[in-house]
Amino acid sequence: MTDRSLDMLIDEIVLGLAEPADVARVEAMAADDPDIAARLDRARARFAPLDDTADELELPEDFWARVERDLDGADSLADTPAEARAPAEVIDLSGVRRAMTRWRGAAIGGLAAALLLAVSLGWTLMNPAQPAVIAVLLNEQGEAVALVESRPDNTTRVTLLEQADVPPDRVMQVWTKPEDDGPPVSLGLLARGLSDTLTIEGLPAPHAQQLYEITVEPEGGSPTNLPTGPILGKGLAKAPVI
Amino acid sequence: MTECDRREDTGQPFMDHAALLKSCAGGDRLALQKLMDAEGGRMLGVARRMLRRDDLAQDAVQEALVLVWRKAHQFDAQRGSAKGWIYTILRNRCLTLLRSEDREVATSPERLSASEDAQVIDTAFDRLADTTDLRRCLEGLDVQTRRAILSSYVLGHSHGEIAGRMEAPLGSVKSWVRRGLLKLRECLS
Repeated sequence: MTDRSLDMLIDEIVLGLAEPADVARVEAMAADDPDIAARLDRARARFAPLDDTADELELPEDFWARVERDLDGADSLADTPAEARAPAEVIDLSGVRRAMTRWRGAAIGGLAAALLLAVSLGWTLMNPAQPAVIAVLLNEQGEAVALVESRPDNTTRVTLLEQADVPPDRVMQVWTKPEDDGPPVSLGLLARGLSDTLTIEGLPAPHAQQLYEITVEPEGGSPTNLPTGPILGKGLAKAPVI
Repeated sequence: MTECDRREDTGQPFMDHAALLKSCAGGDRLALQKLMDAEGGRMLGVARRMLRRDDLAQDAVQEALVLVWRKAHQFDAQRGSAKGWIYTILRNRCLTLLRSEDREVATSPERLSASEDAQVIDTAFDRLADTTDLRRCLEGLDVQTRRAILSSYVLGHSHGEIAGRMEAPLGSVKSWVRRGLLKLRECLS
């Protein structure tokens, strides 16, 4: 991308005109490149005076109580010392489906769908072998954090959409449940902390509604071979319409 | 004299938003409450301008504050203004809600009131202080381009919505907004 077209894209992101996939891409670039981050910040600062032109409205009286209620459980992992965290427990994934509905799936649906289309199209064009299923993994706030594309042989491409807050002595582990009522199975580790392609043998071909999730585990992966750590993101797969 | 008065008197922020974000990152809920007290009303105004519905605007501000809390440790004071960082989070929430509600919102009468939209963006433009570079540079654009750029930032309109309002082909609107942005960037830098 030329500098000039990148600056244009940055301006469009600041205005809210860019596609979600472009926003994710530029934000990922900014995370790695202080120069791009600075250009993004400068562009935002140029338009920021418009925020001050909005009316100052009155918040409802109980507003702080509403916010505070949401903070419970939202405390940032990055700021909790590892030893202060609850001891690792095996997570019961049976509640995940119920939880998904609470996780503002609907509110985020548009963005997730757009991301899914844009990113999967990119991958599909570059890779003749098409994925059997695609899942957008959402975090607790309903933000898309990863895109999972899995082929019939369970070769699974995991594209991170947000820089994950993983402590240095921990690793991201990718899981799926090949059978809805069966145990979760590890697809592998994102040992480099980056997007990666994982391969595994002996699993049935992935199907729609199959659960995928990424958890934070001790170095080398979960000691129990079941997810034990906090969930970074999870989502149910869909078969792409091709 | 209230703290708000003092802010207007001096033209300086009466609170150190960056320090409050740092306290949020350290788990101090009072710091988040202070940020809400300082910016919540304006945040609601920004959200209301984009979402046009009080309930959605309140949801957006609530979610944005929770995100501010969660992401506070990511804020880097070296990189830019704390206030700008907070409003970026808010605007992103609003845009997400707006795009996901598109099918419902686009057909609601309040969304279709072009005259009301024009009034909102004209007010935003008028309220920009005469001395700001943004105002000076926006004045250098032709009226239609200025309105298109303002309606994307202020109202959260997409290219498609702008094209609908202007009754112009989508491709033309895109290149036309780009020309305006280029001119604006040259003027502002």
